[in-house]
Amino acid sequence: MLVRDVMIRNVVAIDPEMPIKDVTALMELRDIRHFPILEGDQDAASLVGIVSDRDLRAVGSPHPSARPDVTIHDAVRSIMVAPVTTAHPEDAIEDAAHRLRERRVGVLPVVDGDRLVGIVSARELLHALTAVTGPSEPSTLLEVEVSNRPGSLAELLHYLAGRRLNVSSVTTVRSEAEAVCVAIRVDSIDGPGVARDLLRAGWTVLWPDVAGGPAATPAGGSSTAT
Amino acid sequence: MTQTRTLLVDDPILARSPFGPSHPFRAERGALTRALLEDCGALRDDDVAGVDEIDERLLTAVHDPAYLDALVRAGRGKPVDDARYYGLGTGDCPIVPGMHEVALRVGEATVSAAELVANGSARRVLHLTGGLHHAHRSRASGFCLINDLALAIEHLTRRRGLRVAYVDVDAHHGDGVQAAFWEREDVLTVSVHQSGRTLFPGSGFEDEIGEGAGRGYCVNLPLDPFTDDAGYLAAFDALVPAAVASFRPDVLVLQAGADAHWRDPLTQLGLSGDGLEAVFARVIAIAERCCDGRMIATGGGGYDAWRTVPRAWARLWGRLAERELPDVLPESWRRTWGERLGVRLPTHLSEATLPDLDSLTTERAASHALAIARRVATRASPLWRASD
Repeated sequence: MLVRDVMIRNVVAIDPEMPIKDVTALMELRDIRHFPILEGDQDAASLVGIVSDRDLRAVGSPHPSARPDVTIHDAVRSIMVAPVTTAHPEDAIEDAAHRLRERRVGVLPVVDGDRLVGIVSARELLHALTAVTGPSEPSTLLEVEVSNRPGSLAELLHYLAGRRLNVSSVTTVRSEAEAVCVAIRVDSIDGPGVARDLLRAGWTVLWPDVAGGPAATPAGGSSTAT
Repeated sequence: MTQTRTLLVDDPILARSPFGPSHPFRAERGALTRALLEDCGALRDDDVAGVDEIDERLLTAVHDPAYLDALVRAGRGKPVDDARYYGLGTGDCPIVPGMHEVALRVGEATVSAAELVANGSARRVLHLTGGLHHAHRSRASGFCLINDLALAIEHLTRRRGLRVAYVDVDAHHGDGVQAAFWEREDVLTVSVHQSGRTLFPGSGFEDEIGEGAGRGYCVNLPLDPFTDDAGYLAAFDALVPAAVASFRPDVLVLQAGADAHWRDPLTQLGLSGDGLEAVFARVIAIAERCCDGRMIATGGGGYDAWRTVPRAWARLWGRLAERELPDVLPESWRRTWGERLGVRLPTHLSEATLPDLDSLTTERAASHALAIARRVATRASPLWRASD
């Protein structure tokens, strides 16, 4: 999935000369925590900075990191963060999520060429990731360990197809040198029945636990898609 | 005077399994339970009511006519285009001759149960082969072909003008019933189940609360694997009684699947037989407080079919009909049905073996369940009040 699939397209941007007190009022009015800052004519406006509710709160604050030289009557330009960490609409959501974490920012304005086309926050990215890993139709979770070599996942899927099961999702739970644990959703209510057949056919089934081992809970469906 | 009678709805066709003898969904569970109750002297002939037919309009209010057509064709051995699209001919719902007759009869029986309560013939009615909550508008799923519960609720609401609270304690999420009334404010659906993260059908998460006019009238309590009696009941108490009470139903519909039991081979919840009975008793008490006791109950899942299910559902009938059951089960029942089914049936109503669950796991599951119940109640209660 790409950033363009999940980004918010209706972005509220502001001018760098807007007084800080007006920015605060607008933020409250719109219930938004970040404003991209655009400079220049409408068609050729370019992204010059970004301001967050946290930057605004620092104005006039006694906190050591606050700016004693700035007042709420000054232009937002004086406190905006620049240059801005951005995303491109064609970026994969995994890349955007990685950048959010690495740069320790709350949002990424999405810029195509010089044009601001959207904004994406951790919220949209998390939603997209849960949509990838979550079930989309009636199905049962199986967690199966397959060896880390060409064709092993194909063999598993082939086996399931032979049992007339439809697979609605496949995700990787973990991947190691020797083995890959995959979470597979199949269209059957009888997960333990499928698991027992897999076990008999020589597969390592981690969930449902039908081998009689200690009670384990599945890790499954909670990591990124393959 | 308020009617205090409790009835059991039954019909000879209902003893047939829609999917044949080698399928895990055992239709004999109803007949096995009925026989147990009769041999205990807890069920008499005049406690049993027959099944009336229902008309096409009620069926098509719940199911897509094209799906009904596909189901009937499949059951008659005729070729069906897109059988897979309708969920037919799958591992769970194989095509078996005559399956449509059984499925439709199950639907008629639950509607008959509902009508007996609606017209005042009885206060509580049980239908053991009903509870097929996974059937969707145009799709068979999870052993369910016709959604008998949705038919009964549709009958009670649209034809009888009653408000219905649906409480589903099957270990699996009641997805078909939830979907049928997703945007309805005259039906509250409540489902308590093992989380869709680890169990079929993979839905019933706490953020599923209904939409449009139905927003807030859908309540889900997903539980972690190995949730035990104490964890289940504490979470149930923190959410379900208040949800149903604030809805002010005219009648309650209980789906009493017995697969939340620790022995159930298809699920991983950790309830005991006493725990299941306590859950049923709580739902009956809720109906008592909220709608003069008027309720129908159905069976549902339950795949430890010979040990757990007859005992659990006998206890359900005992609670509904307010009849004592003996702890030692009748030898006549054990012999006759044990031979017929080729299995060893339990000797006592109470269970000698308790679930052997790791206490750290059950404590963690209990704490999680209570947190979820409180979150759902906190989020939904303003929506319930908004309807006043």
